[in-house]
Amino acid sequence: MEFVNPEGLRLDGRRPMEMRQLRAEIGAVARADGSAVFEMGNTKVIAAVYGPREVQNKSQQSNDQALVRCEYTMANFSTGDRKRKPKGDRRSTEISLVIRQTMEACILTHLMPRSQIDIYVQVLQADGGTRSACINAATLALADAGIPMRDLVTSCSSGYLNSTPLLDLNYLEDSAGGPDVTVGFLPKLDRVTLLQMDAKLPVDIVENVMQLAIEGCKAIATYIREVLLENTKQLEYRRGL
Amino acid sequence: MGLLDSSGDLSAEMEVDAFRRLFPLRYYERHLAESIRPDGRPLGRARDTTVALGAVSSADGSALAKIGSTTMLAAIKMEVMTPSAESPDEGCIAIEFHMPPICSPIVRPGRPAEAAVVVSKQLSDTILSSGMIDLKELALVSGKAAWMAYLDIYCLDADGALFDAALLSAVAAFSHLQIPVVSVNDKGKIVAFTEEGDGRKLEKEAVNKEKIKLTLGSIPFSLTCALHKKYILADPTSEEESIMETLVTVVMDSSDRLVSFYKPGGPALAYTSLVTDCVALTRHRMKELEKILDEAFSGMEVD
Repeated sequence: MEFVNPEGLRLDGRRPMEMRQLRAEIGAVARADGSAVFEMGNTKVIAAVYGPREVQNKSQQSNDQALVRCEYTMANFSTGDRKRKPKGDRRSTEISLVIRQTMEACILTHLMPRSQIDIYVQVLQADGGTRSACINAATLALADAGIPMRDLVTSCSSGYLNSTPLLDLNYLEDSAGGPDVTVGFLPKLDRVTLLQMDAKLPVDIVENVMQLAIEGCKAIATYIREVLLENTKQLEYRRGL
Repeated sequence: MGLLDSSGDLSAEMEVDAFRRLFPLRYYERHLAESIRPDGRPLGRARDTTVALGAVSSADGSALAKIGSTTMLAAIKMEVMTPSAESPDEGCIAIEFHMPPICSPIVRPGRPAEAAVVVSKQLSDTILSSGMIDLKELALVSGKAAWMAYLDIYCLDADGALFDAALLSAVAAFSHLQIPVVSVNDKGKIVAFTEEGDGRKLEKEAVNKEKIKLTLGSIPFSLTCALHKKYILADPTSEEESIMETLVTVVMDSSDRLVSFYKPGGPALAYTSLVTDCVALTRHRMKELEKILDEAFSGMEVD
């Protein structure tokens, strides 16, 4: 199947280095301490953060840092066929772990000892890149909750099909069997915190594909910063400042 | 610090927020005596309600309903199954209500909220018994194939009146539902109907070309009220629900019939007059909801 046609357009009409349309909204869940909705094309994800709050399981309580917990679930109707087991299956557990460890690296947990921060991510529509959308949504939700962080964490995926590096794969491109690289990036510190790759990729191409994903992360970081700034302006305006 | 007066009323010395947290019942009673609630609503008025159809584009029918802050996302997915032997000409509906941990600080992962199971059962019973959906419309090939409609409702924000918002989103999703067109292939299996674009004669006719939208019978609408002494508070928030533990849910349909009445115990006992008052409030609310649903529907048809 041709994923990049001779004119250089992908299945959905994008260019190889073009990302899908991004849309973010802060404060979607009124009851949560922080929440955000993040859309990357047709992938739609909602994240809610509760915390810092009292540790539920006292045996896990840590005296010098906060406990970070994360749960990733997919809605039954999020994928093409209805999902029977939206959480507790291996993929969801693995992604929960990945998101938790990625966010834990950048939250300043030592400032909130003996407490717990819960990050809940729910996928409402899945069209490839759910992992990345979840991390981006979690970053926005943590910022909305006012939890101190070292830096924003942004994430983007990239792949390599028809001898072309592609940015931000959708579901069709993801399931094509080619390599799928997901990168989690801290833009200010210029550090990679998450790097996952599936399928075979020639060593000389790896660098290119990874660099493309990092560029995608930087673009998302710019967008996220804009959204946060706009949100702060709105808050100031409402307080009459 | 001032002295306590004879009635032991500390309210003069305390900030409003602290008083609200420490003595919630007295805070509310002070408001109820003036026939108003802390968010400014009169006792019988529900919060602002909005319905948006087609929120999930990958589902066959979907809707997002918001009552105040309470947000429900309902989506319907259709699958083909073999009907049971007792009713070979009827399809089936499966309704599930989920409360993921994002909706409320009291929901923990691994332990589903009690409210989720209760609302799920209530919803299932109400929709199936209200006669809104005629299961015969979900049939495809008698005795061999019929539609199974999976309705999943996710609570994205739990701020009281969960059943009302869930029912509204379910009804809106069913009215938005477009049943996919299918045909039978050579092996007798149901497949998605694909059009042959270049004028070739179609080999297989669509089995259900005309029946894409469900005809809905009388639509049920509900109103939850909190009872406290002689006051009836329509559409309580989660704070009000937790303070006044008695809740009454009344479901009526558009032909002015009572579909269900639910009062699961609670400290406040209801006189007959309270019951009729609740029903009257529900009737009034039903008119509001009908208008909101019509607007949402006509707004969608314009596209």
